[in-house]
Amino acid sequence: MNCLQAEENFSAHLEDALDYQMLQRFESHIAECATCQREYARFSESVKASQQLPQIEPSPYFMPTLQQRLAEEQRESFSFWQRLQRVFVMPKWAISGVMVGLLIMGTVTFLYHDDWFNRGTQPSDEQISTQGTGIFSGSPINNQFLPRASGSSDFSNTISGQPMQQHYTLKRVSYSTVSTGGGL
Amino acid sequence: MLELDDELMQRFQKGDEDAFNLLTRRHQKPLINFIARFTGDKDNAEDLAQETFIRMYKAANRYKPGRAQFKTWMYLIAKRLCMNEVRNRGRRDRFRVDNIATNDKAYSANDEQIDLIATAPADAAFQPEVALERKELRNAIQKAIAELPEQYRFPLILRDVQGLSYDEISKILELRSGTTKSRINRARLMLKDKLKPFMELL
Ligand SMILES: [Zn+2]
Repeated sequence: MNCLQAEENFSAHLEDALDYQMLQRFESHIAECATCQREYARFSESVKASQQLPQIEPSPYFMPTLQQRLAEEQRESFSFWQRLQRVFVMPKWAISGVMVGLLIMGTVTFLYHDDWFNRGTQPSDEQISTQGTGIFSGSPINNQFLPRASGSSDFSNTISGQPMQQHYTLKRVSYSTVSTGGGL
Repeated sequence: MLELDDELMQRFQKGDEDAFNLLTRRHQKPLINFIARFTGDKDNAEDLAQETFIRMYKAANRYKPGRAQFKTWMYLIAKRLCMNEVRNRGRRDRFRVDNIATNDKAYSANDEQIDLIATAPADAAFQPEVALERKELRNAIQKAIAELPEQYRFPLILRDVQGLSYDEISKILELRSGTTKSRINRARLMLKDKLKPFMELL
């Protein structure tokens, strides 16, 4: 037996799985080869070390979370879609086809409906408010105060320090308020 | 005579939800340990373990008692989830071993069992340097395992960390018995080489 063959049998020797003949050959090689002797000692040591790695304890949340998820799974297994599927006795691909068809019809209807399309292009309060620089930018509540602030220009100037931009913003807000009011 | 796991599975298949809960209780710890050792990430291990159980729950009606052990099936699913997880994850967190290694509370009971410093005197456990050495070695082992190539890491963890038989490992990894044995031996040789700096201390 050479060193390579001895190495191949480290596990088998460690686990008492060698037959008598192999055991003899292995042990006689180890007895006369200092390298294999040292390597085999290290091998057994590292196997022992990994076998004795401490076990990780599951966290206290593991079982409650799992039970909750399993309960959800159980409910879902009799979900709306499955019941619907059973009613129509349709394969999944057929239902998907119907859904895609409905989606296409919906999109076409949406695109040809002028009112819907135009409403989408109007500037919203949100978009306008982002153009303000001072404390007026942000929430819709602040926007409601904007027209009143336009009367006292001194007030808005002291806060923003940018009178021109502030003025522009206020104008846009009043436009938006009027047009939305008209639309509704 | 059916094994307890198989019996529980049969009861679950007949609609007894508690039977499945009992199965998860029985197997949660080894499963979490297997995943944590493979991925090197304890927190994520619990998520993956839950995913494993949920997949088993969903596929329970396809389980045939006696054909494959519940345990074998569980590890087979977990192995696939682990492989997906490792592939999907960047190298950045692949070897995140710190959160396993620093979980001292979970380890304290087992610390004394670690017979790594076999030649040290009996009271050595109370010396801070020795405790540090043990901790370092533990970290090194975890890191070394996490660095092994997948085809060696799986059998090594199943054998030396989970304590499964060669036969069980062959089934889980879908390998011939001879291949399983030689891979485990090769994995252990790799681990020995990686741990060489620590073994010199002994
Ligand atoms: Zn030799």
